[in-house]
Amino acid sequence: MVLAGGRSVRMGSAKAALPWHGSTLLRHVCGLVGRGVDGQVLVVRAPGQALPALPNSVEVLDDPNEGLGPLQGIAVGLAALEDRADAAFVCGTDVPFLHPEFVRRVVRACAEADPPCDVVLPIARGHAQPLAAAYRPALAVLAAKLVAADRLRPAFLFDECSVLRLDDDALLSDARLRAADPRLDSVINLNGPDDYAAAHERPAPQITVECFGVLATHHGRGTRSFRAATVARAAEAAGVPWDRHVLAAVNGDQTGRDGDLALVPGDTVAFLSAAAGG
Amino acid sequence: MAERDHETVNGARQPGGYFGRALIVNVTDGSSTTLELPAAVLRDYIGGAGLGTWLLTTLAPVGVDPLGPEAPLAFVFSPLVGTPLTTSAKFAVVAKSPLTGFLTDALASSHFAIAGKLTGHDAIVVTGRAAAPSVLLVDGDEIRLEDATCEWGLSAAHAETAVRERLGRAWRVASIGTAGERLVRFATISHDGRHAGRGGLGAVLGSKNLKAVAVRPRTKVAPADPAGVLAAARELRAASFGAATAKFRELGTLANLLAFNAVSTLPTRNFTSATFEGAPQLSAEELADLRGVTKNSCASCAIGCEHIYRRKGGKQVRVEYQNVFAVGSMCGVADADDVLEASARCDELGLDTISAGGTIAWAMECAERGLIDAPWLRFGDGPAVLRALDEIVEGTDLGALLAQGSRRAAEQVGGGSADFAPHVKGLEMPGYEPRTLHAMALGLAVNARGADHNRTGAYQADLSGEVDRLAGGQDHVFAAIETEDRAAIMDSLILCNFLKGVFDEPFADWARLLALVTGWDVDEAEMRATAARIVLAKRAYNLREGWTPADDWLPKRMLETTLTLPSGRVASLTAERLRAMISGYYAARGLDADGRQVVEPAPIHPG
Repeated sequence: MVLAGGRSVRMGSAKAALPWHGSTLLRHVCGLVGRGVDGQVLVVRAPGQALPALPNSVEVLDDPNEGLGPLQGIAVGLAALEDRADAAFVCGTDVPFLHPEFVRRVVRACAEADPPCDVVLPIARGHAQPLAAAYRPALAVLAAKLVAADRLRPAFLFDECSVLRLDDDALLSDARLRAADPRLDSVINLNGPDDYAAAHERPAPQITVECFGVLATHHGRGTRSFRAATVARAAEAAGVPWDRHVLAAVNGDQTGRDGDLALVPGDTVAFLSAAAGG
Repeated sequence: MAERDHETVNGARQPGGYFGRALIVNVTDGSSTTLELPAAVLRDYIGGAGLGTWLLTTLAPVGVDPLGPEAPLAFVFSPLVGTPLTTSAKFAVVAKSPLTGFLTDALASSHFAIAGKLTGHDAIVVTGRAAAPSVLLVDGDEIRLEDATCEWGLSAAHAETAVRERLGRAWRVASIGTAGERLVRFATISHDGRHAGRGGLGAVLGSKNLKAVAVRPRTKVAPADPAGVLAAARELRAASFGAATAKFRELGTLANLLAFNAVSTLPTRNFTSATFEGAPQLSAEELADLRGVTKNSCASCAIGCEHIYRRKGGKQVRVEYQNVFAVGSMCGVADADDVLEASARCDELGLDTISAGGTIAWAMECAERGLIDAPWLRFGDGPAVLRALDEIVEGTDLGALLAQGSRRAAEQVGGGSADFAPHVKGLEMPGYEPRTLHAMALGLAVNARGADHNRTGAYQADLSGEVDRLAGGQDHVFAAIETEDRAAIMDSLILCNFLKGVFDEPFADWARLLALVTGWDVDEAEMRATAARIVLAKRAYNLREGWTPADDWLPKRMLETTLTLPSGRVASLTAERLRAMISGYYAARGLDADGRQVVEPAPIHPG
């Protein structure tokens, strides 16, 4: 669940639509979340909020109330998921370095918690991260009650449910996350223009490309290394025409034609022929 | 030659591209009759797999033994055969499968299709059992049986050569190898090195004591709009040279192997893994560099997907992805010499490589678990695969067991081996991993022929990203139905499946081609209705022959074990998910909750 609302006062313009390596920040974050979860990606937006283009697979929910903070958005999103998911990873739109392994780590902790918990709350880089946390959809009612009582901070929710807190060490005890995001950049959020500029100046992720079949014949066999933030940029770097005859798979996961799909450091992008028969 | 185009049958003018009749041959006494095919039937079922389904339903006794003399075996042509439309030189062979007990329809290509049709028949149906090994000759309306003692025991290719040398080059021959003679339930019928491969049609021909069927063209048939067909053929030919067929043209279907390995859809060691560490050695990219000899194409085909590789010892072999998957990764064999040799051995013996590889892989797992006494049969052992292939045809104790296919063999062996027997309805599974391709999982489960990748192409939706390939649901149902319908039309027109990416508006494009050939005013809507009719007619035949809902299902292994992708995501296909998709499929097809038809599929052009 990506909370796209918020006034972006310090940023000075809507964070969701900020450009991000040929895409937008919201599109980028939705892609990262989607890669980390097994289910639906939801975007919760403020009333009347214009959003940049998103894939058809992303479900957009309208928050009827504006200006009530993240707990209101969480309540709306969790309510929509009550019969559809065991847990929801929740983040804002301003976490460009969110790593799918971070998402998986947090969601898995929720699934495996013993005793069971209602929230998995990372305490990363010295701060509690309610917008990089996992929540049980059943919390929707409680969250809505708190909002109605004008208790708008997520901390009020944590006071009234069971919370599993994961500090840096606990998070990085997961080998895959430790390898993918050792500094936990996943929780870096962008508050103002300087944050955005600094983040945007970071080089695009270092990724590996491998072509198969006729694409290998025409554009090179074996693995090659490039910097690219999206699948389409990776194709461009590898000289592969990104058209309807080409499919991509990131780390052997979903195959498809989503050129805006976000990449993270260490990804391997496979380019395949779209003609799959035989 | 006599011009038969647009002759009348019972006063009715025939549509272009058809003769309006089938030849019914009884090889027990060498007699033949003609079955008139009303234009309404032709329009409702077109030809190929569709018309073959109608013929089988009409002519086969209910509950017939597939290997009994009463069982019909139909060679079915189509209205497009003989036109200049690229890839149209194909024929369907349709019968009740000795492997599944249900309908099977396998396609093969090349000159037999053209010559067979130009005997003056839209289909040649064989029944009975010859008194001695024979070749059936169809020479226009004349038929005769010739002794095949000299060819009995030869490979299909050698038999084909011998018969043509005896009869003359004008004859085209479809023949069986020794596997068909010995009634191996997954024996093929082959022509010019191409096989009507799936479901054991070679055993059906063998059961009739026929080594081969030879046909000679004696007449002609014209399309309704010759100029229009020619223009369409030029257009289609040009399109078929484009990017949509580049994979098939440049590397062949084997290009799938390494790509499928990268996305965890390459069945390995009897579906215990979806990636194979030996894939690079078996890949098209590797083989093309080291062993590539030449490329070839079927008659009337502009794609040219066949890729010929050099075997150890200098011989050559034509290789497809399914061959290499079946006797390679499925059996854990990474040695290219062994895999090419095993593929060639299947061709020589006349065995369906998918069923052969699947059954041997199952036996390897049984041997490793101590369920069968064959300590030499181990995953990864290429010579063991070759030995197993030979034993299947020789009929040793183990070979006779495996010659029944994995379903029957598992029933005999027991010990829980049915849980990992890789089949649906008795037909061994092709090289598409259902746990990582959920639309395909549904397609494999519900298809009338069994576990089949040609009558359903649902993997396209999975791999294209149209659906989440790891989370099967209603979208996957629609994708499976759409690809099943498309296949029903392509297999009935007949056009090669590899052209599918060429058509922008497939049903409308196919309607236009059919209209040009036949003169019918067909449109997209009619083609869609025809597709559904053909799919349902196959199910209706199966229901008649004892189909139950349990037949639309996948092996337990696929539903109770998971696979982990390189991304870390776990791929699972549970019984609950599969059942939900099947229920959605039945509902969308207009079937009842158990998958039975509420009403027979209605003809839209009642004769």
